[in-house]
Amino acid sequence: MAKIQLQPSGVVLEVPEGTDLRDCLFEHGLEFPCGGTGACRGCLIRVNEGYLPITKSDISNLDDEEINDGWRLACQASVQGDLTLELPSITMDILSDVHMVTNITSDAGLGIAIDIGTTTLAAQLVERSSLNVLGTATALNPQGRFGADLMSRLDHALKSKKNSNTMARLIQDELYELIIKVLPKGRESELERITLVGNTAMHHLFAGLSVQSLAQFPFNPASLDSADFRSRDLGWNNIGNPTVSMLPNMGGFVGSDILAGILATGMHESLEQVALLDLGTNGEMVVGNRDGLICASAAAGPAFEGAGIGMGMSAVTGAVSEVFLENKEVRVHVLGGGSPRGICGSGLVDAVALGLDMGIIEHDGRLQAGDDWVLAAPLKLTQRDIREVQLAKGAIGAGLRLLLKEAKLEMSDLKAVYLAGAFGNYIHADKAQRMGLLECSAEQIFPVGNSALRGAKLALRAKSESELQSIRAMTSHIELATVPGFQDSFAAAMFFKDSRDLFNS
Amino acid sequence: MNTLEQIQENLVAGNANKVTELTNQALSEGAAAAMILDDAMIVGMKVIGDRFKAGQAFIPEMLIAARAMTAGLTILEPLLADSGVKAKGTIFVGTVQGDLHDIGKNLAAIMFKGAGYKVVDLGVNVSSAKFIDKAKEIEPDFIGISALLTTTMVNMEGIIKDLKAAGVKAKVIIGGAPVTAEYAKSIGADLYAASAADGVEAVASA
Repeated sequence: MAKIQLQPSGVVLEVPEGTDLRDCLFEHGLEFPCGGTGACRGCLIRVNEGYLPITKSDISNLDDEEINDGWRLACQASVQGDLTLELPSITMDILSDVHMVTNITSDAGLGIAIDIGTTTLAAQLVERSSLNVLGTATALNPQGRFGADLMSRLDHALKSKKNSNTMARLIQDELYELIIKVLPKGRESELERITLVGNTAMHHLFAGLSVQSLAQFPFNPASLDSADFRSRDLGWNNIGNPTVSMLPNMGGFVGSDILAGILATGMHESLEQVALLDLGTNGEMVVGNRDGLICASAAAGPAFEGAGIGMGMSAVTGAVSEVFLENKEVRVHVLGGGSPRGICGSGLVDAVALGLDMGIIEHDGRLQAGDDWVLAAPLKLTQRDIREVQLAKGAIGAGLRLLLKEAKLEMSDLKAVYLAGAFGNYIHADKAQRMGLLECSAEQIFPVGNSALRGAKLALRAKSESELQSIRAMTSHIELATVPGFQDSFAAAMFFKDSRDLFNS
Repeated sequence: MNTLEQIQENLVAGNANKVTELTNQALSEGAAAAMILDDAMIVGMKVIGDRFKAGQAFIPEMLIAARAMTAGLTILEPLLADSGVKAKGTIFVGTVQGDLHDIGKNLAAIMFKGAGYKVVDLGVNVSSAKFIDKAKEIEPDFIGISALLTTTMVNMEGIIKDLKAAGVKAKVIIGGAPVTAEYAKSIGADLYAASAADGVEAVASA
């Protein structure tokens, strides 16, 4: 057995020699954005004592100075003996829901609503009658060690039955931990119902369904229906025996998180045309009103969550979350103070907007300064990073444009654009507009927080079942890649200016 | 600036209407179709390809340049055929079975065209059978397969096996975001392209 001391937390782990670091460090907050393939620098750690051999990935991702200073990529390393490792400290702020619900129903007992995000998990305990929140708990999605994006997860699950079983077990165990955390001792028997929401991949990986058909054209889920259990079937003991329902999917990758988002925002009852954008690791969007809704998912990739960007990271200590100009100098705000370790989504959007204003970034995405733009040493953006941002922007922009076209609407017809999820809450809307990520006016934008979690809470009530059914019936799903003109829309939306005219053919 | 240089410049800028107009002008000035292709279009596509590789141009610029070249080629193709100019070789391109993403494949196709190859585009979600049937009909020199997803990339292996089993002699070149040189080697692909613009070099050196 080898002892690994983690700094600064002081936690000491004992693991057999030969254990992969990614198997033991993920639960201590270390992230593996590329799925541990050695393609990024997301899992940087520092060896302060002990010996960790230099891997090929270290050589290709780190410079000599960094390697000499003890920096390594955790994903490719395995334990050879006792170690003291420095980990970036983790203080992630996961979005839960603080909205109040005013009407009281006769639903009895307690309920727990859980949002299974690709990156993060959020659970809330409520009284079903009032939906008053009695407790909240959050965690990282433990499947994150198999990659930040959905496709890496599916790829891992498809490699073997053992893998997919492990992934189901991991998420079920983590959810059970969250439930235990929010449920006060002695009130277990009052727990009546647990509702879960997430995208289709999260649904299938939780319920142990095959993701084979979801991974390939035409990207159809194995099941659109809710996955229903009694808690004991899942091995969730000592919490009474509530019903557990992973709510139904909408189609393709669009899952119950969007169904819940529609329920929470009331889009299905809206007289006016509105849109809901949930721009997480996988971008999902809905457009329409009470006469009908259309939804789609856009594979924006995780750039706005910091993955795929050379020095990108989650919004945790050391991340640059704001970039602005002060006395003509570029300034940054570092979460938790200190020197910058990387940049998170909001900082990235700020930086690109500022770069455009300063003429450092051209409208076609070229970096004027050459290959790098140093924001605050050692933090820099590279030409490649800007290209990643363009791909993400292109996917989101094309998705929304095509959905609007399908609904025969213009952007200006939308009374409201609801921004759900962390993106809507932390990204600076004016900067997102500056870089063309949101092509609507400030008056149209309404951040709605974690609408998926709020919808999941509403779904704890008996009467919501018929409402969810009618939302499903009135909402159609389109697969964007099959829509004629997708390629041109995608390419046009990659520019940081309106360039539709270039692609009108 | 002479007309050929203007064609090249407008092709790089992606101005399709101007390329059409200038190609007709060059022909009326007496330039041979083969000369317009070699000295204006192929040079222009190389410029945009090099810029792409260097990070100075991106997907939209490639696509509009490609569109401009297609506009010019439409005029030149019948003339080239009449004058007996031979393509450097024939290349099939297709997005792998299970995958719908065609931007990378389209860019590769246009770079091959821009380098003087005859390109047969089999579209997206292309099965072994489709590659094999078409190969029996046309006998290409190269078969290019593209994939954007890690989950569909794995289908390339089966296609390569099937092509070999069916006796198709064409060299197989693969590419796409998740594809690496090591992966290409491990599944028996003959050639690998790191980007759409790299395909031409790989094929030329084969």
